[in-house]
Amino acid sequence: MAKAGFGVMMIRFSSLIVALLIGAGSQPASGESLEFEKELKPLLSEYCTSCHGKEKQKADINFEAYNGTPAFLKERKHWERVQEMVRTREMPPENKPQPSEEERAAMVKFIDLALAQLDCDGAVSPGRVTIRRLNRAEYNNTVRDLIGIDFNPAADFPSDDVGFGFDNIADLLSMPPILMEKYLAAAEQIATNAIVAEVHAEPPVHRVKPRQFQFGDEEVIRLENGVLGLYRTGKARAALEVPSEGEYVVTIRAFGHQAGLEAPRLAVSIDGKELKVFDVKASEGSVGTYEFTTRLKAGKRQLEVAYLNNYNVQDHADPKLNGDRNLFVQSVDVQGPADFQPAPLPDTHTRLIPEMPPPGEEMAYARKILSDFASRAYRRPAAAAEIERLVKFVELAKAEGGSFTEGIQLAVQAVLVSPKFLFRWELDVGQAGAGEVRPLNAYELASRLSYFLWSSMPDEELFSLAEEGRLNDPEVLQAQVRRMLLDPKSKALVENFAGQWLQLRNLEMVTPDPDLFPDFDEPLRVAMRRETELFFDAIMREDRSLLEFIDADFTFLNGRLAKHYGIQGIEGDQFQRVSLSESTSRGGILTHGSILTVTSNPTRTSPVNRGKWILEQILGSPPPPPPPDVPELPEEGHTIQSASLRERMEMHRANPDCATCHNKMDPLGFAFENFDAIGAWRVMDGRFPIDPSGTLPGGQSFNGPEELKQILKTQDTFVRTFIEKMLTYALGRGLEYFDKCAVDAIYDGLRQNEYRFSTLVIGIVTSDPFLMKQLEGDDT
Amino acid sequence: MSNRQEIPRRTFLRGLGTAMALPLLDSVLPVRAFGSSSAAAKPPTRMAFLFVPNGAHLPDWTPRTVGADFDLPPILQPLAPLKEDLLVLSGLTHDKGRANGDGPGDHARSAAVFLTGVQPLKAEGAIRAGISADQLAARVAGKQTRFPSLQLGIEPGRQSGQCDSGYSCAYSNNISWRDESTPMAKETNPRLVFERLFASELQKDVVENQGKRAAYKKSILDFVLEDAKQLQAKVGGHDRQKLDEYLTSVREIELRLERAERAQRIGELQGFDAIAEYGKEIGDAPDSFEDHARLIGDMLVLAFQTDVTRVATFMLANEGSNRAYRPIGVNEGHHTLSHHQNDPEKLAKISRINQFHARQLAYVLGRLKSIKEGEGTLLDNCMIVYGAGISDGNRHNNENLPILMAGKAGGTILPGRHVAFSQETPMCNLLLSMLDRMGVHEPYFGDSTGRLPWLEG
Repeated sequence: MAKAGFGVMMIRFSSLIVALLIGAGSQPASGESLEFEKELKPLLSEYCTSCHGKEKQKADINFEAYNGTPAFLKERKHWERVQEMVRTREMPPENKPQPSEEERAAMVKFIDLALAQLDCDGAVSPGRVTIRRLNRAEYNNTVRDLIGIDFNPAADFPSDDVGFGFDNIADLLSMPPILMEKYLAAAEQIATNAIVAEVHAEPPVHRVKPRQFQFGDEEVIRLENGVLGLYRTGKARAALEVPSEGEYVVTIRAFGHQAGLEAPRLAVSIDGKELKVFDVKASEGSVGTYEFTTRLKAGKRQLEVAYLNNYNVQDHADPKLNGDRNLFVQSVDVQGPADFQPAPLPDTHTRLIPEMPPPGEEMAYARKILSDFASRAYRRPAAAAEIERLVKFVELAKAEGGSFTEGIQLAVQAVLVSPKFLFRWELDVGQAGAGEVRPLNAYELASRLSYFLWSSMPDEELFSLAEEGRLNDPEVLQAQVRRMLLDPKSKALVENFAGQWLQLRNLEMVTPDPDLFPDFDEPLRVAMRRETELFFDAIMREDRSLLEFIDADFTFLNGRLAKHYGIQGIEGDQFQRVSLSESTSRGGILTHGSILTVTSNPTRTSPVNRGKWILEQILGSPPPPPPPDVPELPEEGHTIQSASLRERMEMHRANPDCATCHNKMDPLGFAFENFDAIGAWRVMDGRFPIDPSGTLPGGQSFNGPEELKQILKTQDTFVRTFIEKMLTYALGRGLEYFDKCAVDAIYDGLRQNEYRFSTLVIGIVTSDPFLMKQLEGDDT
Repeated sequence: MSNRQEIPRRTFLRGLGTAMALPLLDSVLPVRAFGSSSAAAKPPTRMAFLFVPNGAHLPDWTPRTVGADFDLPPILQPLAPLKEDLLVLSGLTHDKGRANGDGPGDHARSAAVFLTGVQPLKAEGAIRAGISADQLAARVAGKQTRFPSLQLGIEPGRQSGQCDSGYSCAYSNNISWRDESTPMAKETNPRLVFERLFASELQKDVVENQGKRAAYKKSILDFVLEDAKQLQAKVGGHDRQKLDEYLTSVREIELRLERAERAQRIGELQGFDAIAEYGKEIGDAPDSFEDHARLIGDMLVLAFQTDVTRVATFMLANEGSNRAYRPIGVNEGHHTLSHHQNDPEKLAKISRINQFHARQLAYVLGRLKSIKEGEGTLLDNCMIVYGAGISDGNRHNNENLPILMAGKAGGTILPGRHVAFSQETPMCNLLLSMLDRMGVHEPYFGDSTGRLPWLEG
């Protein structure tokens, strides 16, 4: 089970880093030898081996089975589990002797270091990503770029499940039947919106059917079997809508019961003016067509058909002249105007079908059209056999009496629900043995790039580079990354990566108490999100330092948000770039209203949530959740009136069970207490003055957010966390232990290049996990 | 069909939080074979699960007395008019919701285990649980209906961030699992539920365009099945599993098309155009929780009433939900409050939320009971289980879960009682006994140790 350790891995891998930042202890030089016999074994012997040793091997674990140092890397899963048990206090059980906090931390740290001893110069796996279904954003964007207009067809799709904070994790993108249904419905909607099924080269025909006629006496005229029967001299009228003035061709399909010397005589009038009289010589069984041209004015006209010469004689001396003459009208077609200009076809149509095939050329045209379309939709050249199967849809449509374009519509629908479109494939066909590593081909790489930076399919330039085999060239790759980041489509990286990394999407769900925070409204909610998006966008497009996320001297505000922040001189709904002076307390995402609100409770700030958010998103070290059944705080109740939140939290931390984690979280959160639950500045919390100072577990103390930001900024932890988050997003999988090598290399690059945004992206895109894949088979 | 015009459309399906005029629909619905008074056809048994998050305040939930003469504590008060239809089941346990060595993450685990009885794999980037009881039932009962099952909810999945301690959000957002790795996504928009059931394109194809368009749809499904089969030969491992999910879903849609055709052929869809017409009044999810819950509840009832499906799940909120229930005066988030530390004020608010949720259940049960079916009511032919996967939100314990059942399952369950089981009785025993009643006879389910006794009285 290769993926079982993902969750644990992410936490473990990062907790090492955080231990270096805020934990006590000296940083080990890389390669420093770890002495199992001296450091871990005595602790295991004291606390673990009575159940997991020679005597008893509960859960099949025996810590006394080792001759010398255990093979930590080989037994990674086992040791991660051991570490998790110790870290989360699951072990030793409550009724056994407990290690001290220091001993517990030492065990966790030892295993961390033992597992981190990875030789990055040797063969390191690039990992393997399961085929990825397009998530909602990717589906929308891909359809937009493939078809040419923005349908937002995924609006009604069920939401994609989130793992590691992102909704593009391959193994979580499942396909329940309801989603398949939505895909089918969306494909039909897209195909019918994009392609016009009936293309009119001729002026349109308006058909007046017999049942649309009105008439009086049923003895004279009546409807029989869908035909208008005129049995005696009389008239029938029908409304006719004329779209525009012009020459029209009126075609009547009629026949008669012939009797007497004359044929039935049919008069056609419009608005009471007789335009044409026909002798209807056709008989039942060979319907005649009677046609004339006339000029019609636009608007509602009245069409009239009249039977002029009824004849019914049964007693004539000449039996040939006996008979009943009747007139029958099957339909009246009005075609025009003659100078009709076909409605321009939508761009989506002409893009797919540039011209209609001449007769006899339809299959050749279909082949070309569908080859182009499928190759773009599958994001690699479509094979001849694939195209032939698609062309069959055109044959099917023709066989069913449909048009050429209807056939193309069908083929487009089929492509849009094919697994080749809905999933991103990196097939291993014809490759070497299981567990081996291969570089991605140029088309696979183009897709990885475009879905990473644009959440969409590759564009023409990427496709051409792939076709020419140049995309894998590192210089070309770098140039492409720079181009793609400047392209408007990179806003997807802001919406989907930043929106999830910073949890901006959760801003939609916060519900500050309207009584306590009457200022909070929809415009403010929208403005908060916009500020952070624009800020991220600026760092990305201007290729600024990642450290500015923590501390920056600019932001983006509109009037509403500036007022909320107490910043003067910004008016109106438009956002503008604003330089932040030394005197303001704002600067960097930690002081953005969005983050401060998303981490608050509906009724008050939550320093714990804010601290936890910083640990998770900035320092990459999510704390474990509170143990269940936290003991009651006896102080609560009356102290709520008599002690500040900080004092109450400090009482909480007096409990050693709580202290380990809260000592990490709370100081980080309290640093931002000057910002209330919707991010507005304050100096008092109720009756209590705010004290934003704190001390980190490592001993560093600070007084307020500015000083804390300086501490966060000078550590490598934030940058490494940022790399991990973005690498996770770029790959669509959780990081594995071996990804540490890639993270290290990207980090070194960033340090040498002023932590520039583009260096991060290029570092990811040129890393082994991004450029290569391990073949299916080896399960580690 | 002349009576259709007599029903004022405006009174229909407004989602105003008051009982809607759906009963009027009875007049336009087809009389089903089992609905006739002839004893020839027995109405089918329906199964639904209504899930609530974050446990319950048990002292206000558990009746003090057992047997038929049981009392209704505050949380169950909204169900007073339905007392004779309730079977309160105390003492059930989901052992696989406990850590059992997996460490923190009780919320995620409690939802994942609720209907599967399986300890879920602890991972953020991979999901493994097990097939849920409703899906097992749907495999059999679903053969008779156009939809094998229906998944409903109020809250869409979380859009970012962590859900619970190293568990993927999939575990907290779903209780229905088609297989160990495919959670059945739920629909939270009442309009979309309605369209899917009664006004879908798929159905229109069958009803209106029996010829050409149905042939087109089938040819598209054939095409993609062929694509998938070709790929299947080339992949293994997790890729293969994803492709299998895809294939299963396409096949289910094929089946649905066939069933819709059959239903049309034998005249079962008669009257559905009337329902579809009225459904135009249904909007997207309203802001008010109660309006939303009632609309979704109406969809569940309508689906059972029209026998579109016989199996459904309805999550009143996702596990760990931190919704603030302002209309009942609770401004703090539900999850935050559930860590109540025995603070009486917080406990009172938890109890109020629990009662508010029970009120939504009362609405659904009341609607089911108002509909005549066969010799009794629709509710008589249902077994509706309501409850949570956690017992106390503060302790995160998984024994003595707040669980109750309603309906008679066609006379095989005797409600109107409170039954207290011995501690550690697996909740899976209940699920196994319910499966029996759906015609699924398994030797065991999850960690079941046998059938649950005393359901019949």
